[in-house]
Amino acid sequence: MSFDIDTDCRYLESHEWVRPDGDTARIGITDFAQDELGDVVFVELPSEGDDVTRDAEFGVVESIKAVSDLYAPVSGEVVAVNERLFDEPELVNDDPFGDGWMLEVAYEESDFDGLLTAKEYRDQTE
Amino acid sequence: MSGSPYAPHTASETTAMLDAIGVDSEEALFDIPESVRFDGEFGIDAKSEQAARRAVASTLADNDDLTEFLGRGHYDHYVPSVVDHLADRSEFITSYTQYQPEVAQGFLQALFEYQSMLVELTGLEVANCSMYDAATALGEAATLAERLRSISGTRVLVPDLLHEGRRGVLDNYVAGSDLTVETYPTADGNVDREALTEQVDETTAMVYAENPTVRGTIEEGLDTVGDLADEHDALFTLGTDIVALALLEEPASVGADVVVGDGSALGLGSAYGFGLGLFACRGDRELLRQVPGRLVGASEDSDDRRAYTLTLQTREQHIRRERATSNICSNQAWVALRTAMHVASLGPDGLVELANDSVRRARETAGRLDELTGVQAPVHDRHHFREFVARVDQPAEAIAADLEAEGYAVHAVGDHEIQVCVTEANEQALDGFVAAVSEVVR
Amino acid sequence: MSRQQERPDEQSETLTFEQASWVDPDGDRYEPLLSEKGSETVEVDSELPDDLTRDSLELPNPSEPELARHYTRLSEMNYGVESGPFPLGSCTMKYNPKFTEDLAARADASIHPDRSERSTQGTLGLLHELQTYLGDIGGMDAVTLQPPAGAAGEFTGILVAKSYHEANGDERSEVIIPESAHGTNFATAAMAGYDVVSLPSNEAGRVDTEALEAALSEETAALMLTNPNTLGLFERDIEEIAEMVHDVGGILYYDGANLNALLGRARPGDMGFDVMHYNVHKTFATPHGGGGPGAGPVGVTEELREFLPDPHVRATDTGYETHTPDNSIGKVHGYDGNWLVLLKAHAYITRLGDAGLADASAKAVLNANYLAEQIDYEIPFGPFHHEFVASAGEQDAADAAKRMLDFGVHPPTTKWPEIVPEALMTEPTEIESKRTLDQLAAAFNAASASDTDTIEHAPSRTAAGRIDQTSAARNPRLSWQALDDEE
Ligand SMILES: Cc1ncc(COP(=O)(O)O)c(C=O)c1O
Repeated sequence: MSFDIDTDCRYLESHEWVRPDGDTARIGITDFAQDELGDVVFVELPSEGDDVTRDAEFGVVESIKAVSDLYAPVSGEVVAVNERLFDEPELVNDDPFGDGWMLEVAYEESDFDGLLTAKEYRDQTE
Repeated sequence: MSGSPYAPHTASETTAMLDAIGVDSEEALFDIPESVRFDGEFGIDAKSEQAARRAVASTLADNDDLTEFLGRGHYDHYVPSVVDHLADRSEFITSYTQYQPEVAQGFLQALFEYQSMLVELTGLEVANCSMYDAATALGEAATLAERLRSISGTRVLVPDLLHEGRRGVLDNYVAGSDLTVETYPTADGNVDREALTEQVDETTAMVYAENPTVRGTIEEGLDTVGDLADEHDALFTLGTDIVALALLEEPASVGADVVVGDGSALGLGSAYGFGLGLFACRGDRELLRQVPGRLVGASEDSDDRRAYTLTLQTREQHIRRERATSNICSNQAWVALRTAMHVASLGPDGLVELANDSVRRARETAGRLDELTGVQAPVHDRHHFREFVARVDQPAEAIAADLEAEGYAVHAVGDHEIQVCVTEANEQALDGFVAAVSEVVR
Repeated sequence: MSRQQERPDEQSETLTFEQASWVDPDGDRYEPLLSEKGSETVEVDSELPDDLTRDSLELPNPSEPELARHYTRLSEMNYGVESGPFPLGSCTMKYNPKFTEDLAARADASIHPDRSERSTQGTLGLLHELQTYLGDIGGMDAVTLQPPAGAAGEFTGILVAKSYHEANGDERSEVIIPESAHGTNFATAAMAGYDVVSLPSNEAGRVDTEALEAALSEETAALMLTNPNTLGLFERDIEEIAEMVHDVGGILYYDGANLNALLGRARPGDMGFDVMHYNVHKTFATPHGGGGPGAGPVGVTEELREFLPDPHVRATDTGYETHTPDNSIGKVHGYDGNWLVLLKAHAYITRLGDAGLADASAKAVLNANYLAEQIDYEIPFGPFHHEFVASAGEQDAADAAKRMLDFGVHPPTTKWPEIVPEALMTEPTEIESKRTLDQLAAAFNAASASDTDTIEHAPSRTAAGRIDQTSAARNPRLSWQALDDEE
């Protein structure tokens, strides 16, 4: 089975992606991760104004039978939260790189050091 | 040597089974090192059913036959026969937790109905389908408060008159957390609101009050307690019982975030403290994900028909392990079934009437005792539910002992205070009881 | 309408099993909810001042005959031990003898917990006897009956360990638990304020003593173990393990869920365990009641006796009394635990005696081994005792279990312990005959032979079809009020 990978994103081994867009970056989980989890039923996210720290937990994603911690690929202040996920957690399954995004964070460029490239991430999941 | 009466194997079947496995004895199946083998005896002789029944019954018969006027958080109401007979149906009582909902629709629906009854009675959106008892439910409420992000502090405030069993369990439930338990004073049996106002601040995680209180008084102005907790981002947990809920102010309307208490006041007799812990709470997203214990939800089956299942299980120990909301696994499901049956058999009229009778009986009985020389009742100038405290001139312990000799049990709750609880289960003995009290108080 | 079970194999003598369900004319519900059968709203009128009472109350108001039918119908849509085989691993679903129910229904069993000791000698006497029985069965010096379930017993035991360390002026921070342990072990340790150190198993499915050595330290408050473990395997190194734990000053805790394997043959106390809980709703045949009530008595060695919960029952020259142990951890239940459950356990032990208890274990182990011989699924670990863990292999274990429902049997516990891929944890208990085990095996084998499409769409013969767990969790509807809001 092959999974979608977005070449504009950088990745954590724990299956989170981050995609820079100007001063902010969006964060979500990968297609591979959503498939492993199965039907996502709940997502717990920080609030706007909270800070997240690279490699530290920032939330939780739950399917029926599993709970996974979410780790931040970059550090920074949360400037937007995808509140749609609270009522439509299925977006994480349906469109993990798009409507299923989780946070938007004001990040530092240097944060990208050490993150996996799309190719490295693909190699890891294969 | 006789075997287990509930193992059906004949000798030839056993042999055939051993042959199929390829061993020559049952003992050969045990992979236990010699050094830890047990070759002693317990010294318990096997008995026929009749003899076993007689043995247990004859020990039980050593309990004195007393008419109990006892309560203090654990009550005896008459349980209709229909509850016993239906709850004892083997499909219910011999089933397990509903891990296979397709063959457990009956129990799941009954628990869903139980949850719904609690939602109606408390005005809160969510009720779980049981905690062990009122004391452990209170402990769970406190640790819930600690987990909530919207709650700031670590101090749990409880009334100074809290039942010692509930207080003891609460202390243990918070032992592994950062919470500390403190008492606030009561005034004439009820929350001393002024004193409480002084004590509640941003360091408060939870305020706990009871209605009715352990001394049977009915609280007045609980909404101010709710406001106080709310202003300081503390959880307001209200302790009550399933009968009182039918009459007293609705917990949601006084600002309660969580309701705990005893459910076994309906559905189960005294049962030596065997109970049912109620647990209901607000239904917002944060609380919902932090509820302890089992929840039954509605869903659909493959034919799109309504069906029930345990849900939101990621909160629980079998999935979340050390980060679970509680360690509870087996709970009191069958007692919850009985309680729901009892509530349904009473209906709203019957339940409200039972609750009203609880107010009347306490008032009338206190009035009758108050007429006796050597007794003042009730001690508290409050409305009462089921029970009340009376002052006696003689030492309370001596009064209780003397009453016991006359065939009645009451609580001795202070040097000169007894507590008396009246329900339909002992009401018929009231004349004799009052006469006995009048004898022993002199 | 009723649905009838398919036979796993038309040739074999399999039970046919009917599970009833009722469908409303609109076709979308089974037995209606009580609220749908008719509710009533009453205005609450009372002698109390208005501001102390609620305004109204809405509840169902069925007549007694309606009530009886409602719950009878619900019961017919529920599978219990008396419906058929119930080989749910780790749960010990035994037959629950009826006479124990009769004893629990006696008036002299229903007394208030605050009565004086002198007026409750019968209850105290039975509790004391049960403490003694359990102490002897587990090889423990003192037993408390207060914990209302196994998990509550774990909590009690870990609090005892904590108090013991504290009494020695010893603050410890960790509890070690095998990865394959039951979820309650982890949750309990956390509740008591400990960090959990998770212990991998070795290739044989047992405690990896090297990993244990590495995990043990002065921080170790306790090691929690099940023996036989959740794979049904006896931890043969138990004495060495006990020594290792004791060498660092730790407490060895025994999770008694699997005690049905050992009755009369081995005792946790003799293996070096310091604290244990008993699951009376497993080993001692008290009914599970659809999820409880159970009871989880805790046994301890002499050294730990002083920490037991308050109150504790003891014998005097003339009868029985309760007392507070010197260094008691306090209370774990508002009163004295799930008394009626304890009463039934007492009656069961009284009936079976030494011989019956030993035979129960022998037959439980015989049944598990015989059943294992008959089924096609692979069983990676052995020799096992009262239960075994098969692997559904390429199948999803949860789907295979759903397929078994079609054959009128209850399936095993699925997907745990995770050390076996797609685990089917199976515990037939001693109550099944060879014939029933053959039928059960036929159900396993029919599930094993079913194709993916069939098992993914199973069950098809039960009161409800496969239930959508995702919809239940994404859109929680937890009361009939929530269903009404939806409409
Ligand atoms: C191995 C094991 N430990 C502990 C428990 C917890 O027992 P209880 O459900 O009585 O709390 C169970 C029961 O499910 C179990 O199987």
